[in-house]
Amino acid sequence: MAKSDKKNKMSFDFENPKLYINRELSWISFNARVLSEAEDTTNPLFERLKFLSISASNLDEFFMVRVASLKDMINAEYSKLDISGMTAKQQLDAVLRDLHRFVEQQYGIYNDMLLPLMRKENLHICDPADLSGKDKDYLDRYFDEFVFPVLTPMAVDSSRPFPLIRNKTLNIGSLLKKKEGKDDVDFATVQVPDVLPRVIELPQIKEGDLARRVVLLEQLIMSYVDKLYLNYDVVTSAPYRVERNADLSIDEDEAEDLLKEIEKQIKRRQWGQAIRLEVDKSIDKKLLKFISRELQVDDNEIFSVNGPLDLTFLMKIYKFDGFDALKEHSYKEPQPVPEFGKDADIFEVISKGDILMHHPYETFENVVKFVENAAVDPNVLAIKQTLYRVSGNSPIIAALAKAADNGKQVTVLVELKARFDEENNIVWAKMLEKAGCHVIYGLVGLKTHCKITLIVRREEDGIKRYVHLATGNYNDSTAKQYTDVGLFTCAPAYGEDATAVFNMLSGYSEPLSWNKLSLAPLWLKDRIIDLIKREKEHALSGEPARIIAKMNSICHKEVIAELYKASCAGVKIDLIVRGICCLKAGIPGVSENITVRSIVGNFLEHSRIFYFENAGNHEFYASSADWMPRNLERRVEIMFPVEDNKLRDKLWHILDLELRDTEKAHVMDENGIYVKQAALLSEGDKKINSQKIFADEAYEASGKLSIQNSRVFIPEMNPDNRF
Amino acid sequence: MMGEVFAAIDVGSYEIALKIFELSKRKGVRELDHVRHRMDIGSETYATGKISSLHVDEMIRILSEFKKIMKEYGVTHYQAYGTSAIRETKDILIVRDLIEQRTGIHIDVLSNSEQRFIDYKSIALRHDQFERVIEKPTAIVDIGGGSIQISLFEKDTLVATQNLMTGVLRLHTTMEQVHASRLKYSELVSELIDSRLSVFTKMHLKDKKIENLIIIDDYVSPVMQKYGIGRDGDGFATRSEFLKIIELAGDMSDYDVAKKLGMPEENVPLLHVAGTLIKCILDATKAENLWAPGITLCDGIAYEYAEKKDYIKSPHDFEQDIIACAQNISKRYMGSRSRRETLKKIALTIFDSTTEIHGLSGRDRLLLEIATILHDCGKYISLVYLGDCAYNIIMSTEIIGLSHIERAIVANVVRFNHEEFEYYNGGSQLFDGLSKEDYLRISKLTAIMRVANGLDRTHKQKFRDVTVSIKDRNLIINVDTSADITLEKGLFFNRASFFEEVFGLKPVIRQKKMM
Repeated sequence: MAKSDKKNKMSFDFENPKLYINRELSWISFNARVLSEAEDTTNPLFERLKFLSISASNLDEFFMVRVASLKDMINAEYSKLDISGMTAKQQLDAVLRDLHRFVEQQYGIYNDMLLPLMRKENLHICDPADLSGKDKDYLDRYFDEFVFPVLTPMAVDSSRPFPLIRNKTLNIGSLLKKKEGKDDVDFATVQVPDVLPRVIELPQIKEGDLARRVVLLEQLIMSYVDKLYLNYDVVTSAPYRVERNADLSIDEDEAEDLLKEIEKQIKRRQWGQAIRLEVDKSIDKKLLKFISRELQVDDNEIFSVNGPLDLTFLMKIYKFDGFDALKEHSYKEPQPVPEFGKDADIFEVISKGDILMHHPYETFENVVKFVENAAVDPNVLAIKQTLYRVSGNSPIIAALAKAADNGKQVTVLVELKARFDEENNIVWAKMLEKAGCHVIYGLVGLKTHCKITLIVRREEDGIKRYVHLATGNYNDSTAKQYTDVGLFTCAPAYGEDATAVFNMLSGYSEPLSWNKLSLAPLWLKDRIIDLIKREKEHALSGEPARIIAKMNSICHKEVIAELYKASCAGVKIDLIVRGICCLKAGIPGVSENITVRSIVGNFLEHSRIFYFENAGNHEFYASSADWMPRNLERRVEIMFPVEDNKLRDKLWHILDLELRDTEKAHVMDENGIYVKQAALLSEGDKKINSQKIFADEAYEASGKLSIQNSRVFIPEMNPDNRF
Repeated sequence: MMGEVFAAIDVGSYEIALKIFELSKRKGVRELDHVRHRMDIGSETYATGKISSLHVDEMIRILSEFKKIMKEYGVTHYQAYGTSAIRETKDILIVRDLIEQRTGIHIDVLSNSEQRFIDYKSIALRHDQFERVIEKPTAIVDIGGGSIQISLFEKDTLVATQNLMTGVLRLHTTMEQVHASRLKYSELVSELIDSRLSVFTKMHLKDKKIENLIIIDDYVSPVMQKYGIGRDGDGFATRSEFLKIIELAGDMSDYDVAKKLGMPEENVPLLHVAGTLIKCILDATKAENLWAPGITLCDGIAYEYAEKKDYIKSPHDFEQDIIACAQNISKRYMGSRSRRETLKKIALTIFDSTTEIHGLSGRDRLLLEIATILHDCGKYISLVYLGDCAYNIIMSTEIIGLSHIERAIVANVVRFNHEEFEYYNGGSQLFDGLSKEDYLRISKLTAIMRVANGLDRTHKQKFRDVTVSIKDRNLIINVDTSADITLEKGLFFNRASFFEEVFGLKPVIRQKKMM
């Protein structure tokens, strides 16, 4: 484009909604990419089950939060259009239309691809109605001993109203007719108890039999349903599942006691408005009508599926022993970080220079050790940390409590507002407070999403500050599944800024100036926009200009508009965005210099890394923030520069390799549709799976490649299996 | 191993600040943390003279948290000072006690002159630049919330200092009352400032040319520090560079200024006031260069402590500044230079020769010296009521570097040099606010002063060399002079009797005639 053209382009309306993709639809397309891994025949069978389960659990969350939010908007007659110019009603219609298609696809994969393969591998999901003999005896006993005592069937009639059907529970609805009496039909329902395992394995038919057979709890109950309603004939029964609104938008300004308010909200969550009803395709029409009327769901909110409801049970099957061969083992386990030798003093190592870790390829253990060592180090005076989501039985929490016990000054910001983790976090927070830590229960009106640890240590040379900054949570469990980067440094400029961050989190004024860090919601958005604009200026003046940005989601209109402008000025922009992307790539005259790719693979891509060519003075940043309004405007987030040349090379390698990924990358075409790169490969083309290569490289770097490791690596899942 | 970790707390009129420092001989003073909590107690105390219980509670909360932060760094010593807002609080003793009981933090109250002196001392933290800057005529402009202090330097010595009630917060509050529009704002602020500055200019500047301005403030300084708007960086700028950035800020919204200059948005309105204030002073002084060393009162507190503990040594002689200031006051009231020199010499000789007897400190020696410098300022008003007039002049004149109590000591010593001594239990109002210890210091210094004065009764400076020794119960004053000292000897007894009363030694003159 000629220079004058480039300048003319600047008057173009870059905020025209036509240039943007609706965020909900973009999310559905992300979940479709997860589902495509279940479809991918190159993945081992059990990994495919896992991906199908993840796609189902993602969908649950999406319904409870996003679909619910759309419904709220409609109820509130909220008229503002979204980034792509759609009303809430238009969005809800489009979303439900896409989701029906999506669910159909899920069950298509389940029934047509995975079930036959499971059978081929001698794993059978049986219907109790088809079983007889010893199996039947076993199930009789199982039902009588374990299931029946915990069932609470409830009938509905004029004196007994429709009971509360709890969010995300499986239930069995029945139409009953009194054995003696009129022809009146009553409705009754029973919840499939969540205290019992949903997947019940049947004993082997005979010793040495390789077949593994399971039944699902709801099917078991279905087959004994007449035992529940003794004086009735069961006309028909069917399982159903309801999802309710779970978007907790707490008005923090009004809450007198934030903690109590959140506790209250958790109890209330179950009582939200029903937003989705899942039923078996074969459900009796009358029964369905009754349930849907009582739950007040519209027709397009009813999902009739051809198979078991709630496919997340597949994760239980994934965890079955004995199917290791059907799982992924080609990804190496987290490796030691070369800089940290065995028994090396962690503080001494950091003193030698900044260290950048790439998780999960490199172990998260050093971060845990960092806090653990600080807890017992007599020279450590203070530890400060932000906690967003922590693992169950977190060693970091234990270390912090120990540190307080050892007389260290421990300040912890526990973010109570981390969605779905509130209950968990309140427990930790109270425990830490009891141990003597100074606990800050989040900030009013803002979520603290930044990941930062500061350790103040008295050394020979005086007071020294050690800082850890990261893109991922202080969660040793998810750190094995999420790809993140973390920086250890003791450079005074970072230490001063880290101190300032904690001063601000404690309620003190903003420092007079910052050295290195950019903080949301203060200046981060402006900083990002300035960095993009700077590239644009470089491009206009003929200097080298390029942006590579890797993140989870991008939907900030102002930022996207700046990217469009930069693209028009000739800046080459490559975005690696795993999830939601409201930017359209490749629009002629708008974003033809922008590419968008999403990597969905064995690990959850979670790091946020930004590269700016800056006329040859390359700049690298890592951040806890996505380029979304909530991150840049309603959360406390940090972006930090990585300045050491060796570490910048490491970040460059991450970006570069992911841009060359051919196996797990999906590239957005000019219609906004993601195309899996593996499908485009010709025979003989080099296959690149970036995650696998990173894992191998970390293995090699830790000096272990030559030693054969016969141990089998069993991936540990995020407890929620949630993306 | 390092020296120690020290905390400085400034309970200011619109902010409570804590700075943590590491002090060591090798590294000097190194800042570790700076915590600020915005709390406008100034507006309240300036108007009502009281701090509301709401603010007291908040102060207690913040100071308790400061204590935790101090623990985080292993702080071994701290110094907390309250400035103008605290100073202007009527029930300060009660508030201070309450805070101390609840937080364990003791707050000392700084007089304006002490506060300014600490600020000024802290500039010497950057002593290389400081010595270079003050080689040329320089004014230090110390901008606070309630008032500003302008101090003038000539030939690297402080010569005059003046407090003007045009602090940024006070100006800002005034401007809010007149609801000035954005466009008019700077103009009106200038008008307010100029009216006060004109008096200062007439009194102190006259035709003097000022080359450099040193700025101490919380708003302009961070900008000058961070952005090194001048070519030299490190807070230096020429007049035109400074004006350019102030004009630029004037044209932008507060949000854009905050973003552009990387400062908290809430500080922007006060940045405008401080910028305009400096611009007016630039115009009044015609200074060409500015330097904002970026120091705060907390830096000064740390500096003072570090100096006291020998972690650092400044090549600049601050006592000399206090003395030069006193000399300038003496000059303004037409004091006799040769007379004060003689008196000083004799008084200090007696002081130095009797240290074991009087047990006074080096600081008391400085007070004695200042008393000798100002001993005759009262005669400017009345030759009859010399003592009373001197007392009033001294009590109404700021002497930078001296606390209120020290100033009262000097004023009383000068007064009792001329007037009859009043005793502590005599109920004199002159000792209001002074402790018994202060009273004893006054009496001892007065005793010395009176002897010195007695030796120069005729104001003819007859004694060139004086030596002092103690023999039995006598203070032998050996004087070298060929002049006739009959009068001095004759009248000496009246003067010497008070010395005897105080020290139990009888002063005796021994004349060694010079050939």
